[in-house]
Amino acid sequence: MATNDKLIQVKHVRKTYNKGTLHALNDVSVDISKGDVVAIIGPSGSGKSTLLRSMNLLETLDEGEIVFHGIDITKDSYKDPKTGKKVKVDINIHRQKMGMVFQHFNLFPHKTILDNMILAPVKVKHMPVDEAKEKALTLLNRVGLGDRGDAYPIQLSGGQKQRVAIVRALMMEPEVMLFDEPTSALDPEMVGEVLSVIRELADAGMTMVIVTHEMGFAREVANRVLFMDAGKLVEQGSPQEIFGNPQNPRLKDFLSKVL
Amino acid sequence: MISWNNFLKTFKYMQLFWEGLVCTVSLSALSVVAGFILALVLATMRLAKFKPLRFVATTYVELFRATPMMVQLFLIYHVALAGVSLPTFKLFGFIRFERFIPGVIALSLNSGAYLCEIVRSGIQSVDMGQTEAARSLGLTAWQNMRYIVLPQAMKNILPAIANEFVTIIKESSIAWTIGVQDIMGAVNSVTAATFSMAEPLIVATCIYFCLTFPTSKVIQHFERKMSRGDKR
Repeated sequence: MATNDKLIQVKHVRKTYNKGTLHALNDVSVDISKGDVVAIIGPSGSGKSTLLRSMNLLETLDEGEIVFHGIDITKDSYKDPKTGKKVKVDINIHRQKMGMVFQHFNLFPHKTILDNMILAPVKVKHMPVDEAKEKALTLLNRVGLGDRGDAYPIQLSGGQKQRVAIVRALMMEPEVMLFDEPTSALDPEMVGEVLSVIRELADAGMTMVIVTHEMGFAREVANRVLFMDAGKLVEQGSPQEIFGNPQNPRLKDFLSKVL
Repeated sequence: MISWNNFLKTFKYMQLFWEGLVCTVSLSALSVVAGFILALVLATMRLAKFKPLRFVATTYVELFRATPMMVQLFLIYHVALAGVSLPTFKLFGFIRFERFIPGVIALSLNSGAYLCEIVRSGIQSVDMGQTEAARSLGLTAWQNMRYIVLPQAMKNILPAIANEFVTIIKESSIAWTIGVQDIMGAVNSVTAATFSMAEPLIVATCIYFCLTFPTSKVIQHFERKMSRGDKR
């Protein structure tokens, strides 16, 4: 399903902590095409999450470009190719097109499930409340939570919360979904229900980038796997290549520990 | 000496104490509300990325917390507002507006500094993940503040704000020095009329206590109740 239509281009990004002594991202470049399902794997602290979060600028970068739909969103403005005029980059508009799912769900605890879901469509896209509620219920039904719309996040299990977080992001009809370790904070028996929702999304053709420790899932769902270590993109390829025939010694070492 | 006779004389002026009570409560309530609005602005400035904004807000807070309330009050009334002629009508028929308003201004500026720190800590107590989730959905920084961060922060800091209200009720007693007819103002008038100071002061003590003690008990009750609901 992957195409050549480049959606996100990460170009030579660099990010350091502790006054430049610690490289979170060290000259990383990667392209995400429409229809791609990209899994990012690697040891803790390798920069996987930082890379993912930098794609919608939740992390500020020291160097490099994030090009989304041909626009470098790390800059304040860009030149419109048609008119040649300078146009301001509005990061909020680009973020609407990128859904993000977090390790710790980050549902809004003071709002009901329905209110969590309709907030952004109503306030940002000015969708009528009734229409947003209808859409939210359809999505909730799709993930088996149609009867929990009036509950508060605290009343839900971890797996349910993460399913809500996924459909909350889908409410904005994003072109790409970014998953930041979506199952790492879940009890083992709840991992499956969340993964199956993500799998359905992939089958429906959604472009996705997933940071994950679920190797089996990465192998099965992704069409490309990136391996990161110490802030560098060390190896990338199809799941067959990465899991079946790893080249880099660090990747071999990593796989021998987690598989 | 404290005598029953003097109490009886004092009680004849209960109307003055009643007016003082209304004055103290309006003075304190207005000051906390205005102070809170000021605190929202100051707290936003203190958390801003732009350094000069942070500097201005921090300087303000430190200045107002490090100087005596009475100095601030006198500076407002005798210096800042010395050349300003305020309208001279009476609120509720007995509160002199041109004395009352400088009192409100001074108390608001002062409690704004204290409330700023409360608001700031409230905002910082909200998990960063909430902001990240909101921004990732395309909400602007302001929408995130308005719909996500402040509602959660408010819940956390409501007891602290109520405590500030109790503090301001007590601090506001200083306003009689610029001629505000609050409870202390009533004490002053009654003392002048009865030639006894102890009894009016005892009455004032009782009134202040009856104002602040139940209020802080109610706050404590809600504080306990709220922290119970906080198990996440």
